[in-house]
Amino acid sequence: MDLQVIGKVLPRKDGIAKVCGKEPFASDIVVPHMLYAVTLRSSHPHAEIIKIDTSEAEKMGAICITPDEVPDFTYNERTVSIPEKTYCDRKVLPRRVRHVGEAITAVAAETEELAFRAMQTIKIEYRILPSVLDPVKAMEPDSAALYEDIFLGKQQLKVKNNIACDRNIVIGDPEAGFAAADYIIERDYNLPRIYHHQMETKTVVCQPEANGGITVWSTTQTIHNVRQLLGQIFELPLSKVNVKKLSIGGSFGSGIQMNSTIPICVALALKARRPVKLMSSREDDMHNHVKFPARIKLKVGVKKNAMIVAADMQVLVDIGAHQINAFPLLGCMSGWYASLYKWQDFRFEGTAVYTNKVPGCAMQGYGNPEVNFAVESHMDVIANECGFDPIEFRLKNYVGIGDEFWGQGPTVKSIIKSCGVEEMLKVGAEKIVWSERRPCQEKTGRYRRGVGIARGFHTSGTGGPKPGEVIDYSSATIKINEDGTVDVLSPVMDLGGGTGEATVKVVAELLKVPYDKVELAIVDTRTTGYDVNTHATRGVYCGCGAALHVARQVRTKLLEFAARILEENFDDLELSYEPEENTTIIHVKGFKQKQITIGEVAKLAQIYSWGTIAATDSYRQKNCPPCFVAHFIEVEVDTWTGVVKVPRAILLADSGTPINPDMLAGQLIGSLSRGLGYVAYEATENDLETGELVCGGFITDNKIPTSCEMPLLENIEVYFAHTYEPTGPFGAKGIGEAALNSVAAAYSNAIFNAIGIRFYQTPITPERILQALEGGISG
Amino acid sequence: MKTDTKILASEFEYLECHTLEEVLDALTRYNGKAKILAGGTDLLTKMKTGALHTEYLIFVKKIESLNYLISDNNTLRIGPMVSLREIEQHEQIKASYSALFEAVRSMAATSVKNMATLGGNLCNGSPAADTAPPLLVYGATLKLTSSRGVRLVPVEEFFLGPSKTVLASDELLTEISIPDLGENVGSSFLKLGRVAADIAKINVAVCIKRTGQAVSYCRIAFGSVAPTPIRVPEAEAMLVGKELSNELITNVAQAAANLIKPITDKRSTSHYRQQVSKVVLEEALRSAWQRTGGEL
Amino acid sequence: MEKRLIKLTVNGRIRELSVKPNDLLLNVLRNDLQLMGAKYGCGIGECGACTVLLDGQTALACLILAVTVEGQEITTIEGMGDHVQLHPLQQAFLDHGAVQCGFCTPGMLLVGEALLKENPCPSEDEIREYLRGNLCRCTGYAAIVKAIKSEAKALEI
Repeated sequence: MDLQVIGKVLPRKDGIAKVCGKEPFASDIVVPHMLYAVTLRSSHPHAEIIKIDTSEAEKMGAICITPDEVPDFTYNERTVSIPEKTYCDRKVLPRRVRHVGEAITAVAAETEELAFRAMQTIKIEYRILPSVLDPVKAMEPDSAALYEDIFLGKQQLKVKNNIACDRNIVIGDPEAGFAAADYIIERDYNLPRIYHHQMETKTVVCQPEANGGITVWSTTQTIHNVRQLLGQIFELPLSKVNVKKLSIGGSFGSGIQMNSTIPICVALALKARRPVKLMSSREDDMHNHVKFPARIKLKVGVKKNAMIVAADMQVLVDIGAHQINAFPLLGCMSGWYASLYKWQDFRFEGTAVYTNKVPGCAMQGYGNPEVNFAVESHMDVIANECGFDPIEFRLKNYVGIGDEFWGQGPTVKSIIKSCGVEEMLKVGAEKIVWSERRPCQEKTGRYRRGVGIARGFHTSGTGGPKPGEVIDYSSATIKINEDGTVDVLSPVMDLGGGTGEATVKVVAELLKVPYDKVELAIVDTRTTGYDVNTHATRGVYCGCGAALHVARQVRTKLLEFAARILEENFDDLELSYEPEENTTIIHVKGFKQKQITIGEVAKLAQIYSWGTIAATDSYRQKNCPPCFVAHFIEVEVDTWTGVVKVPRAILLADSGTPINPDMLAGQLIGSLSRGLGYVAYEATENDLETGELVCGGFITDNKIPTSCEMPLLENIEVYFAHTYEPTGPFGAKGIGEAALNSVAAAYSNAIFNAIGIRFYQTPITPERILQALEGGISG
Repeated sequence: MKTDTKILASEFEYLECHTLEEVLDALTRYNGKAKILAGGTDLLTKMKTGALHTEYLIFVKKIESLNYLISDNNTLRIGPMVSLREIEQHEQIKASYSALFEAVRSMAATSVKNMATLGGNLCNGSPAADTAPPLLVYGATLKLTSSRGVRLVPVEEFFLGPSKTVLASDELLTEISIPDLGENVGSSFLKLGRVAADIAKINVAVCIKRTGQAVSYCRIAFGSVAPTPIRVPEAEAMLVGKELSNELITNVAQAAANLIKPITDKRSTSHYRQQVSKVVLEEALRSAWQRTGGEL
Repeated sequence: MEKRLIKLTVNGRIRELSVKPNDLLLNVLRNDLQLMGAKYGCGIGECGACTVLLDGQTALACLILAVTVEGQEITTIEGMGDHVQLHPLQQAFLDHGAVQCGFCTPGMLLVGEALLKENPCPSEDEIREYLRGNLCRCTGYAAIVKAIKSEAKALEI
């Protein structure tokens, strides 16, 4: 294949604007006559709102909205699943608050200061309800209830024992499998809530339009879902709801849904009949969402020949006060588990439980980092206890080419057609010199080094041969301009990872147009077809898949018009790039003398009034190929202080064809930092007495890793497996979430190799390490 | 939430002073209702997070007469408006006041250090203030000035509890002076935090004077283990007059660890602090001793 | 609260502004001068998103009262370079893939520039130490460090 741009390092399309501080984010949007809004949030974890007195605030000139003044609509922020699998339990503003920091009222005024001061005058009468803060106690029959009933689609459901939803899957006969096992190993793992800590706090600007509609700028990963949900809540025709696509200051899942501040801002703007901006403070933001925590019990049966024969995983997820995507989460967790190793006969039991805490939502990996930590720690435990080499043990049992992959739980599956697992494990082992790894028993002294390995994957999108519970397709519009340049209109949000550049490259490659002649248009929901979401690591695989599909249609039109102009057969023509002129020509195959540039074709089509050479279409990927990763991490543990350093990390990825190699490396290295944060530093937990966040919503004592916690540049190695995904655009798969998934387990396995202590709970803090070293027990 | 850190919502009367006299007048006039604004990194954070309210804010950062760093007969005199960054970059401090240099180097972000002042770090009264342990071990004196006059307070007596100092409402910290340390003196500072530049889980400073092969002066101070930065005189006494050995260092560190009573909070646990206090103190003692020219 | 007139230089231009004593420099830059490059990240001086240069030194605009910078010189990212003439460090950020979501980028660039002015050939450790107050959730810092390092080398020659 004659690749001009795929795999080349080329400048980001938004790069110059970003380095100049000119790229607009939602928080930078200013519209004339705009009001500024703040939200009043609950200081109680569970309470009924008896009365809200906004009179003082209104006297100050502020516009206030209360639960009585917003549509009484029960919704789920995330609308990725099909409606009948979507659990709905939240209101725009609730009459009963279910976590500290849940918004009760909102206030808009000429300045933010005035709005804040007006908010301070609002009096709220609460009836305090008993709160539920422990997920296990929450399920006891005498525990207080967060909900009496909720909705599944349009169907009303009773909530029992605070169980939000559950999912139980049995494949084969696990009991028989365990009975045949030579070893049965069981452990409990515990992963905390952590905060996304995207750098831009969730923001929304809403402008009411003269036609009765609204224009919305918001931090989101999905402009179309925001539009549709706003249309439903406010009973507005979708043609009058326009959501703008713009850059987002990091997301990591925090914008996967229509965030709860968005309808609040819309309600304020509609009441004020003026544009309103609602930008979350960091403390507001931290009270909005956290990563799903998980308690995982895992039991695995193995034969003496290192073949796994059975597994049983029980998962308890403390989802907090609302279901954002708990049901699909449990499904996905079952899929991440089912697709890591060939368990043969296995069981999955997942339960999501309500508590009076900040709602959990997707955060890079969507249950995969949690499952991966458990499984990949467990593989190490088994290898250690049964005397297997950790790498060989994995290679004997992994799910690879020709096997079935659960890309999105039990309903979205496809056969694996590309797989770099063996290559990555082999190369990683060579790079880290695995053969010289010594067991922990041989390590002495204050500073002890250890090497750990873990592998993982993520899905690329949520497509499959048949539609499952998750909606997945994308759209694109591509247009050839009259000078041969190309406009691409894509609804796919680029969260910073380079999806936009990949889209441009795919179009440029197919049309043989130089990269600098293809631009991404500034678009919104009105000017684009539907795209479900930049989630599930689907930007490149599905988003670019759609762009490629549409580019092919545009190519056909180009060739058809050229055939008419050149008076040649369509089938005899082909596109070529002419480097000397930096143009794209259409010519008779093998006979370049008879040629015309695509710009001339477009111009003549205009002059002849044939029309614009453009196409719009949607496309669904019918596979969900896994992008695989492997992490080899070296740690150095100071056994006197419990402080851990990471002297070296080898990050390996099988992303199919690397479309943006620099950004692919950037994803892997960024994920190393986030993974270190997850495994070693971060926890955004609640005080179990008051229900408040221990950090109070401030980052002072809840900081993410800084530049100093990362290994030195020369000690971070990135490697791409040599694979080609036959169903992906130019052989590409995703990488985004995969890049994170096995960092934590590799780190924890390295700690075991250094000091002989297994940690089943993260973050693995110096405090926990020191305590474990003293007790000689597991953390 | 109850706060909004995007703005500074509180209202106050603002006064910018250009001379010490103006500040002292204003402090007397406002009689406890005013706060001093210098670098602002602690004060504005406290105001934004609702930990502090004030009717009057007196801005003093630009008072030139409070911004100096001079060595006067081997006494180091530091004006309270000297920024932490200036201290970090000061050659003499780097060469001779290792504990103070290391403390400031370990602190915060460069941007914060450009803004924050030494006076502010002390007057904020944090038990975790990184500059406090070095000043404690140097036996520094603080000059507190009011319209009523001037008093000199040893830094040891300055801190009363979290956010509490002996500073009266009409007083301003006007100088930090570090006495002549003499020959063969070495000092050191160590800290453990969560991530780089974080607030200390624990910090320690040591200053030792060596006479011959024996310790003739020793001070040890910890931060983040008590409501104020504290000295551990019993542990210090174990060293004075003794020849330093690895065994003695271990014993002193163990004794010091037994003497402190740290608490568990969101930053760390009591147990951890107690355990690592030994480690950081041992290291600090070794490094300070080495800097006196002593051998182990 | 009574407004005060202040005069300051922003990106080389003298600006006269009327501000309230509790107005933060960050909000004055963004709301009054429409300079959106400095970002709100945490509001309490912990993340570096609001970094500006104050008389050539990095400072956090979220913790500065605008009234206090009367007569001083402020440089925001908009004063560093533009699409017609990028500052070499801006170009280096582009060349080394140091930009992902781009929200921390203005602060990182200003801190990087301040570092290189102070220390034209910093070691990697010195770069990391200098950047430690500027948080980035996307990149893992490596590409940013590399970009700054590349400029350090360029100065060496």
